[in-house]
Amino acid sequence: MQSKFQQFKTDFEAQLHTVADRLKLEELRTQFLGRKGKLAELMKEMGLLAQDQRQVLGAVANEVKTAVEAAFAQKETTVRAQEDAAAAQREWIDVTEPGSWPRAGHLHPVSTAIAEISDIFSRIGFSRVRAPEVDWDYYAFESLNMPKDHPARDDWETFFVKQAAGSRQQAAGTEDERIHHELQAASRPLPASPDMGRLVLTPHTSNSQVREMEKGKLPIRMININRTYRRQSDVTHVPMFHQFEGLLIDKDVTIGNLKGTLDYFAKAYFGPSRVTRLRPHHFRFTEPSFEIDISCGLCEGKDSAMCRLCKAGWLELGGAGMVHPNVLKAGGVDPKVHGGFAFGWGVERTLSMKSGMNLDDIRLLYKNDLRFVRQF
Amino acid sequence: MNILISYSWLKDYLKTNLSPEEFAKKTTTAGNSVEHIDDVAPRFDKMVVGVIKELKPHPQADRLRIAMTDIGSEVVQIVCGGVNLSVGQRVVVAVPGSKVRWHGEGDLVELKETEIRGEKSFGMICAAEEIGFEKLASGDRMIWDISSLTDAPAGTPVAKALGLDDHIFDIEVTTNRPDAASIIGQAREGHAATGEELKLATGSLQQAAFGVEFEEIAASRKLPAASFRVSVLEKKLCPKYEAVRLDGVKVGPSPWWLQRALLISGHRPINNIVDVTNYVLHEYGQPLHTFDAATLKGGQIVVRKAKKGEKIIALDGNEYELGKDQLVIADAERPIAVAGVMGGSETGTTAQTTSVIIESATFDPVSIRRTSRALNLSSDSSQLFEKGLSQEATRPALARAVELILKVAGGQVASQVATFEAKPFKAPTYRFRPADTRALMGVEDITDEQMYESLRRLGFGIDVNGRAAKVTVPYWRARDIEDPRDLTEEIARLYDYGRIPSVLPTGELTGALPDPVIVLERRLKECLRGAGFTEAYSYSFTNEQELSRYSSSTDQVVAIENPLSADQSLLRPSLIPTMLTTIEANQGEFKEGALFEIAPTYLSREGEIPDQSLELVVAVYGKDGAVAFRQAKGILERVGEELGYSFDVSPHDGDSRWHAGRSARVQGGGKTVGSMGEIAPAISKAFGLDARVTLINLSIESLSRVPAKGLIYEPIPTFPETKRDMAFVVADRVEFLQISQALRGASPLVHSVELFDVYRGAHVGEGKKSLAVHLALRAADHTLTAAEADTAVAAMGQVLVEKFGGIMR
Repeated sequence: MQSKFQQFKTDFEAQLHTVADRLKLEELRTQFLGRKGKLAELMKEMGLLAQDQRQVLGAVANEVKTAVEAAFAQKETTVRAQEDAAAAQREWIDVTEPGSWPRAGHLHPVSTAIAEISDIFSRIGFSRVRAPEVDWDYYAFESLNMPKDHPARDDWETFFVKQAAGSRQQAAGTEDERIHHELQAASRPLPASPDMGRLVLTPHTSNSQVREMEKGKLPIRMININRTYRRQSDVTHVPMFHQFEGLLIDKDVTIGNLKGTLDYFAKAYFGPSRVTRLRPHHFRFTEPSFEIDISCGLCEGKDSAMCRLCKAGWLELGGAGMVHPNVLKAGGVDPKVHGGFAFGWGVERTLSMKSGMNLDDIRLLYKNDLRFVRQF
Repeated sequence: MNILISYSWLKDYLKTNLSPEEFAKKTTTAGNSVEHIDDVAPRFDKMVVGVIKELKPHPQADRLRIAMTDIGSEVVQIVCGGVNLSVGQRVVVAVPGSKVRWHGEGDLVELKETEIRGEKSFGMICAAEEIGFEKLASGDRMIWDISSLTDAPAGTPVAKALGLDDHIFDIEVTTNRPDAASIIGQAREGHAATGEELKLATGSLQQAAFGVEFEEIAASRKLPAASFRVSVLEKKLCPKYEAVRLDGVKVGPSPWWLQRALLISGHRPINNIVDVTNYVLHEYGQPLHTFDAATLKGGQIVVRKAKKGEKIIALDGNEYELGKDQLVIADAERPIAVAGVMGGSETGTTAQTTSVIIESATFDPVSIRRTSRALNLSSDSSQLFEKGLSQEATRPALARAVELILKVAGGQVASQVATFEAKPFKAPTYRFRPADTRALMGVEDITDEQMYESLRRLGFGIDVNGRAAKVTVPYWRARDIEDPRDLTEEIARLYDYGRIPSVLPTGELTGALPDPVIVLERRLKECLRGAGFTEAYSYSFTNEQELSRYSSSTDQVVAIENPLSADQSLLRPSLIPTMLTTIEANQGEFKEGALFEIAPTYLSREGEIPDQSLELVVAVYGKDGAVAFRQAKGILERVGEELGYSFDVSPHDGDSRWHAGRSARVQGGGKTVGSMGEIAPAISKAFGLDARVTLINLSIESLSRVPAKGLIYEPIPTFPETKRDMAFVVADRVEFLQISQALRGASPLVHSVELFDVYRGAHVGEGKKSLAVHLALRAADHTLTAAEADTAVAAMGQVLVEKFGGIMR
């Protein structure tokens, strides 16, 4: 009987040695170790023996069983590893091949910038408002302390709208035009004073200042982002561009508050290591007025003589200042009680300074060449 | 406006030992932005004065010669093509290692010892334009003869010999500060910014060093009061006019110090008389003009408006036809200068001139600007005048010019100063309260006295009275200081904005609610981007041609009075034409696409600002119009789903710009919010489109007024759904909306009907279509038995047969 166990072990090991795949291995398991396998048979046979013999043989049987099972387990590990290796070869994928994409959509970089800018200011309580971009001279210039003969009011700087001749047209027959007329019926009221001047394509977003004040609700913390227009078109200028305008009107507003607001924006938009500086400048609708510079992110001011981006470590961002008392008065705000600051600058410029998007010709932004927009 | 300020010239008026960098930093902080510092001397590294000892022909080249040139340490051989070389001449020798610009063109090139046609050449004898003096062009194939400019011995570094050891600041001057666009202006600013001592003769800043002497000469009774007569007919446009005559001047080249000052400040030396006026322009910021007194007819100077059709040939050699609003300086017969812009060539100084009249005047800035723009003629003078200069500035500049002309061109003062002044200058005064300034700055640690001191440094007069002061504005600031508030800026900029602490605003929050249109615009953009659409972003402009392609009338279209070009002369009344133009421009590169744009459209309204409502246009284009339509319909549904709108789409009642069989009205909340459909073939052809284009055009303003239903939670069914498919044939024109409503009505167990296949073709016959739908059936309280489901499906089938004559498949 003992020799039968030994024979069993020898047979098993001999066969195990020849096994190379899982299928054969499973067959072997059934044949030798299965419920009706050879080991089970031997065990049954052993059960027929006398107790003293069984005791002697039991130790042998256990030893054989343990050894066989260990050998089997080891073989199983080996076979699995071999199979995995084979699968790795068979199912190999070139990981450097591009993946498959869902159809990708693209927002124009200006849209993305506008969203980012709005979000940053909303965190410090500035709500985005809407203002017309074709507006009366009064809001674009006159109420902003700009004298009649100011250069910006000349025909070669600013686009003017031809005054509509004749009476208002009746709604034409088409669907789209009817929709427009529905809209008009629900739109804004007539301006308060008849003396609003000409209609202009606003050359800046500052027309929102007096319009916002006229709503009669203080304090004000607003952002207006809009299309703006100037009579210029070359590689660094587009006739339509975007500005954002911030306005805060409250009591006890200081230049330090303006600095705080601009610093917050600069760090949030450009990165925490960036700082701003105010340089004295001149605008009609603020006093004092500043130009806002931001520290250069490329040379960090270290090698500014060689830097292609900045002037002496600084980049111009935009303009700002403390709202001129005459502008407050125009908006019906008492400059003795309330003061404020305003700032404004170009979205395109802000955008190109952040991303290092080096456009040789800025007009590309509005050419609607999909090869451009699809990069964003 | 930027101005080049030579530091050494500035030091004529400001006593300072600050390094150029320190000075630049301080004056920038105070508002005089130094954008660039040009260290001049290094440009002349390894350039020395050479003296030509011997000239020999070049054995291999007729146009070249060999110049044996003493460069101090040795006599070297240089091959040179200069035709004006002569023995004993002093020249600029650029030795190997120096950097020159060949013939004044291209990039700087480092010189190496070389051989030219077999002859060794140690460096090069330079023309002026080759070493950075483009404005001093030497003439064709001429080298720069500096014999008369310096007597420095051979070998002296050129920078030293020609006084070029200087730094040039490129300073931005804001438009309200023309007074700072000069050496003296920057000296005043530098004084205020640094506290260094200002060196002006009388200390009052009012007079030139020569001023007192000049006043005596000019008032001398020995001089004729009027050897010419000045009459100003336009007192508003010319509030001040002064002129003086000098006789016996000798016109010729200026001495080097004068040429040098002009060259490094960006001016071109011409002759000593003109050079002096440019020098004074740069130094004082007051434009001057000199007439050749002999050419003036009738001994008269008349300041008047031009007569219609009057012409003048200006100093630039061009003829200008003048308009009747334009101010001129005339003699008895004709205009002799476009006032403040440019002089006439017939009355300018020439080599033969011996007697000059120097004009120093003040003109109305707006008039100058309009004339300059109208004539498309600009000069250093007009650029200053159009920003507004003080009438008080004319006399010191005139005195300075006389002083310098007498020095460099000889002659003597031959008349008293003829002066016209509309009314005498009165310095403005303001009441200034330091406490207001402190509050606005948000700074506590600045005293009243510190503020007064800042103002004094800038030339303001201070008369303290308790907690306020009467501040008198110096004449050169009388135009830009308009309000006591302006004084705060003066104080704050000298205090240094950098020192003002940066503090976020505190105070009450506004409680403003988000604007629904802005919210909707953003959500739409993000939703469309997520669905694979690309955003177009266009100018607001359109033109008649583009509108006519879209069969759109120009009624109510907003027209620009002064467009940059004809193709940007209107504001678009619809986003569709631009979108079609965009597709046309991209269809070559991208055969199909999915685009959108959100922008305002403009329609004029009488007596009001134009309607500027925000619209959305979505475009799907490709070869197959039906596919494009379904994709567009799909995106409309998806947008509705995401934003919580349910859109009703019903066939359009006919607008010839849409494809008659593939267009629909889009309604939300019972109101029309827009249209969708394929663009009509005729429009497509007019735009040159190869692809079929389906558009959705929605009014965002209208949509924002439709109450969004939001997303409604529906309990997850407790009992599983039974799914069945059903296929049937019906007449082609039966609308699916009708079918799906009928199917839903056929059994209460129907939860959803989803169309998954549509087939039209030979198998189903003409005028028919086969539809296949997924049905989901369920009951709230139990799992459906097969029999229940079968009954429901049968009921639906019956409805199809009865209502639509459907045939089950």
